[in-house]
Amino acid sequence: MGLITRKKVFSIMALCAMVSLLLLPVVVSIPSLAIGADAPDAAKKDEAKVEKGRDVYYKTEGVVVGAPAPKTTDGPKDYPRYNFESRVLLWFANQQHLYYGSFVLAVPIFCMIIEFMGVVSKDKALAKRYDQLAYDFVKISLTAYSLTAILGGILIFTFLTLYPAFFGYLSSIFRPVMHIYALMFVAESGTLYIYYYGWDKMKEGFLKWIHLSMSVVLNVIGTLLMFLANSWIGFMMSPAGVDEQGRFLGNIWHVIHTALWNPLNVHRILGNMAFGGGVVAAYAAYRFLASKTDEDRAHYDWMGYIAMAIGVAFLIPLPFAGYWLMREVYAYRQQMGITLMGGLLAWLFIIQATMIGILFLSSNYYLWQALGRMRGAEKYQRYIKYLVFLLVCGFLVFITPHTMVMSPAELKAMGGQQHPVLGNYGVMSAKNGGINVIITTTVLSFIWYMRGNKVSTVSWSKFGNIFMGVFFFFAYVNIIWLAVYGYYIPANVRVGLSVPQVATTLSCLFFMTTLNGFMMKGAKQMGPIEWGKISVRSQYALIMLATAFTWMMGLMGYIRSSVRLFWHVNEIMRDNSPWAYTHTVGFAANMISFNVLFFWISILFVFWLGSLTAKKVPIGEKAGVPGGAPQPAGSH
Amino acid sequence: MGQTIFYILISTVICVAYFTLVDHYLMDMQGLDYWYLFRK
Repeated sequence: MGLITRKKVFSIMALCAMVSLLLLPVVVSIPSLAIGADAPDAAKKDEAKVEKGRDVYYKTEGVVVGAPAPKTTDGPKDYPRYNFESRVLLWFANQQHLYYGSFVLAVPIFCMIIEFMGVVSKDKALAKRYDQLAYDFVKISLTAYSLTAILGGILIFTFLTLYPAFFGYLSSIFRPVMHIYALMFVAESGTLYIYYYGWDKMKEGFLKWIHLSMSVVLNVIGTLLMFLANSWIGFMMSPAGVDEQGRFLGNIWHVIHTALWNPLNVHRILGNMAFGGGVVAAYAAYRFLASKTDEDRAHYDWMGYIAMAIGVAFLIPLPFAGYWLMREVYAYRQQMGITLMGGLLAWLFIIQATMIGILFLSSNYYLWQALGRMRGAEKYQRYIKYLVFLLVCGFLVFITPHTMVMSPAELKAMGGQQHPVLGNYGVMSAKNGGINVIITTTVLSFIWYMRGNKVSTVSWSKFGNIFMGVFFFFAYVNIIWLAVYGYYIPANVRVGLSVPQVATTLSCLFFMTTLNGFMMKGAKQMGPIEWGKISVRSQYALIMLATAFTWMMGLMGYIRSSVRLFWHVNEIMRDNSPWAYTHTVGFAANMISFNVLFFWISILFVFWLGSLTAKKVPIGEKAGVPGGAPQPAGSH
Repeated sequence: MGQTIFYILISTVICVAYFTLVDHYLMDMQGLDYWYLFRK
């Protein structure tokens, strides 16, 4: 048997093994499903002994198969502790695990996209560069993967030792899910290692497709893992599948598929991708700043751009996913929504709005700086000030609070809870307008960047340019008009205005990028993109972007978790520890900052480890690099 | 110049019509009246 054939057989076997591992949890769960199916029959035989309960969310009846949620008391039995706040220890362990977990889930998705781009690219030099980039990405995530597992272990031990009653209850409900989770983690690890170590051996032809298929399998497993973990937090916020005493009613799907599970899934997957993009972009920026040769600078400039582009591509729909999540929170419990956005936690949402604004400002700033590496892009420079104006106006409206928590003296001085002038801008109608203006401007910056060094050669280019300009103009008019219109109509009508506002922004995103794509087909290039010839400031913008992502993720995680107030499981299991209160905004901000700092120090260690690997080029000699101009130039 | 104005006019008609339709139908889909203020 030839070497190639043997490799093929081995690769197919590896892929089959991975698919089998992927299906293993399903096979394992069949007996438990069968037991679950038998349970009602057995119950019929002895109906007198059967106790039934009513699902708190689905309102269906089911046979009680679990114990009630424990009623905890403040003491060493339910809340063993050190001389320190247990909740803070758990917060730290949880947040660090989440940061690393998000990173290692997002990066393989990038690898899959970039490797695919390399495989389908007809330009061989470009294909090699994409492949090298995907390899660089996975190399970073490998070390982070071990840390994720270690932090997961620390998190579980923290739960077991500091919150045994709560964790015991949660694991009694999610017993099969936790086992499936563990098995899938094994499958994920195996696939990741084969994917990484098989890179060289499976670099061409059919084997490359097998390798690419592995990344698909890897990401399916990773995503399912995240969905399972989301079911636990979804259950804690909006329990289902249990009766009012917290007794499990035998339907595991109800417990997983809670009211907030799907919005959480969508929001988290987008958030992870944006976060992962930010971290990789920061890594590239760090390497760019530390580079000693033009070749390295060119490579890391390109890497930073690709990571930032992927991150921002997922950042743009993120506010809409967040909006859906909040809508579902309001639909589930209105009081919970009010606590979040109009009550105890409202100030944190103002901070969140500020962070979102910073993210978009940083992204736009980077893109404007990046125009500098293209010949022909000077024509856009003089218009940037108008974009800055739009962004700043949108940002200021977006961060203006409606009501504020104040002392009686402050309240008296201002003449009420709302500022007499600024209070008008703090309403949802105006805020929606603000964020949509920001996102639309980001889309416009991207389109300018994409056509920076090109001149359209299609026969209808004049009409195309005018149409694009007019479309953006009326998009802004429509968004601002709807924001103003909201002041003149009743609240029950106003609430619907956000949908056409979002649709306007999305129209710009999808229609205008498509139109731009058609216009730029076969476009004349004014000159190559000179990778590496970008201001140092732009790289700090990337680091800023990543830091803002990290901080915002910590903030939103805290908000989501603390909305349960004094409940471990909302309305089912009460938190009777001494820490069942909401921290001050200042304490929370310090804690989030500490978590961010710790994450960045530890990830720097991971980056450093990555840089120790001498092997930089897995596929033949290094493909031509910019300056020696890389050909991602033509394709951005 | 004449052609530019013509293109701007055509584009304006298309864009205004499009965004009005978007506003109207997306409000209608939610059971809300986009023209509330004008009908009043």
